[in-house]
Amino acid sequence: MKTGVLVVVVLAGALLVVVRRTRSRGSRAQSPLVAGLTWFRRRAPWAGAHKPLGDTGLVAGREIRERMRGRVFRVVTAILFVAVAAAIVIPPALHSANPGSAEVGVVRASPALEDQVLSVAKSVKFSVRLVDEPDLATAKAALSAARVKLVVDGTTSLVVDNPVSASDTSAGAQFVRALAGTLGAEKAFVSAGLSQAQASIVARAKALPVMSLKPAKRSRTTAESTALIGVVMIFVVLTQYLTWTLMGVMEEKASRVVEVLLATVRPVQLLAGKLLGIGVVAMVQAGALVAFALLLADVVGSSVLRGAAPLVVAASLAWLVLGYAFYSWLYAAAGSLAERQDQVQSMALPLSAPMLLGYIVALTGASSGSPSLLVKVLAYLPPTAPFAMPTLVGFGQVAWWQFAISVALSLLATVGVALGAARVYRRAVLRTGRRVRLRDVVTSRAGG
Amino acid sequence: MIDVLELQGLRRRFGDLVALDGLSFDVPSGEVVGFLGPNGAGKTTAMRAVFGLTDLDAGAVRWKGAPVDAVRRRRFGYMPEERGLYPNMLVRDQVEYLGRLHGMTSVDAATAARHWLERLEIADRAESKVEALSHGNQQRVQLAAALVHEPEVLVLDEPLAGLDPAGIDSIAGVLQEKARSGCCVLFSSHQLDLVEDICQSVAIIDHGRLVVAGTVDALATSGHRRLTVRVEGDRQGDWAAGVPGATVSEVAGGEVRLVLDDTADSDAVLDAARAAGRVSQFAFARRRLSEVFREAVTA
Repeated sequence: MKTGVLVVVVLAGALLVVVRRTRSRGSRAQSPLVAGLTWFRRRAPWAGAHKPLGDTGLVAGREIRERMRGRVFRVVTAILFVAVAAAIVIPPALHSANPGSAEVGVVRASPALEDQVLSVAKSVKFSVRLVDEPDLATAKAALSAARVKLVVDGTTSLVVDNPVSASDTSAGAQFVRALAGTLGAEKAFVSAGLSQAQASIVARAKALPVMSLKPAKRSRTTAESTALIGVVMIFVVLTQYLTWTLMGVMEEKASRVVEVLLATVRPVQLLAGKLLGIGVVAMVQAGALVAFALLLADVVGSSVLRGAAPLVVAASLAWLVLGYAFYSWLYAAAGSLAERQDQVQSMALPLSAPMLLGYIVALTGASSGSPSLLVKVLAYLPPTAPFAMPTLVGFGQVAWWQFAISVALSLLATVGVALGAARVYRRAVLRTGRRVRLRDVVTSRAGG
Repeated sequence: MIDVLELQGLRRRFGDLVALDGLSFDVPSGEVVGFLGPNGAGKTTAMRAVFGLTDLDAGAVRWKGAPVDAVRRRRFGYMPEERGLYPNMLVRDQVEYLGRLHGMTSVDAATAARHWLERLEIADRAESKVEALSHGNQQRVQLAAALVHEPEVLVLDEPLAGLDPAGIDSIAGVLQEKARSGCCVLFSSHQLDLVEDICQSVAIIDHGRLVVAGTVDALATSGHRRLTVRVEGDRQGDWAAGVPGATVSEVAGGEVRLVLDDTADSDAVLDAARAAGRVSQFAFARRRLSEVFREAVTA
């Protein structure tokens, strides 16, 4: 446990240092991340004349370096890590801070009475330690000094330091109310002529089971919870990085640097390199988040990700890649049609509509505990499959071959989308001065 | 051996607009060639065509006798009219990156970037972002990016626009140096006096067609004779109005510039000037490039 905490602290510290120093203005030599990348680039086996992925690799490399140096990446990454850490650390912290235990002073204690108090405490999941008090005055003094939280004066009365309101739902208040009710009932039964033993049995009577015609709603399994978290993560990461793609292509067009680049690089290489670079950054960030979440959950003993289904995690990451591959071409093509922020925003909405549909339907299905028929249909449509298919995997409602069919359909659609997007990009990206309309691009040739 | 960049019969139409209408001319290596023409004449489209940035309806661009393809283009350097650099990228990274895209190793690109930034006197801004630089310095970075891979062909669209005299001298010096080293340099400009000083040859186009081409010397000495005459006390040059065969092309600061047709007699001009007052200047002059240009595009 201590080692785990140490590992997390060291990792968090290292991340902080990297994040803070990576973007030190004009200080490439001071940046460990950039220095590392540079070192790797120069010492790697392919350093020198060779480029592992040709021009596409060079473009992707620039994209990765510049994105990771960027302020947006730092801020978003920091926010995501903090959010994940909060989601994992806060619930156990709240749980441990919950006053679910107390010391109870008992005046005129008897084994039956103590047994009764412990029994009631157990029934409301409240932990107590009993303290014998010689008399009521001493017990009240202990209560005032906060040495005990409650005084049980035989079967006569209960004494608390502050009144317990009816609306107080804390475990301590529930315990006080339950104990008062139980001891009061027992006292009434004794008064009615039952022996102490009989009164105790009656007072502890269990409620009759309530049977329902319909089966009870089962609690969500770990795999389902993981799928739910996975769908949210896919949506957040896709939204962020597709926006980068859209803006990045638009900015290259607006700054006219694209004309210099296309004088030596083919359009499809430039576009593929850009998408690959941003995609790598996205996957690295998502992978780091998942690893950080799993490690932190293990360290703090959080149940949020305990036993997270590896298959669902893998499926979520796979669909994150597939979803990015499909949508990034569309967003890039849209970016090549615009050269101003407002033009980009007007195009982002229709592009995000199918993504929103898939996300909402999948999320609703996952939350309801039973994915609808619509989720099962959307799992085979490439625009919505990145959200619907991981949901079905989490609920165990998809066979491997169905998963494979969906992947194949998504890959085929991605190839088609990529070809169309590259065509649009090539024809639109050098047209400047006004927003280019799609139908103008379809009927024209490159270079205006 | 002189290598030649050949633009052969380039045609490009945008809807109803004819941008290139069978444009043909050669750019020999070892020379700085000025590419001139009024706005909308098709210069930028022609330059883009060299880099495959616009699809041609007809025609071809050839280098060393073979069609220009992506591999050959790697040995070309380009500076577009609308400057293109990543605003947020560091200057050195940017130049190195473009060198790498032209096929250089990372080590060679770094060395060459350092050399060109020093040569263009912006080495002290190597670690700055491009957006933090002045217009003139951005222009130098753009030129460094076009030169970093030691291109065989250099095509520059308005490289001198907006520069101060020091910047012009610096860039002009680099272009002439590159030409002397055997590079083929083509650049467009509307600053005709500068073109006249820097270039060995010019190609003037109008409406997508070549209208004049040749060496600056040949163009300067061709056509009608020019005379510059200054008559003391006469700043308007009214005396020249009645000289047969002579046309006043310009009057500036008391100096009258005359174009003589084949029938004009220079002695008659001198007599007319003397009749107007004391002649302090009377000389035959070269044809200016601006005159060549005007005559070509208004013909």
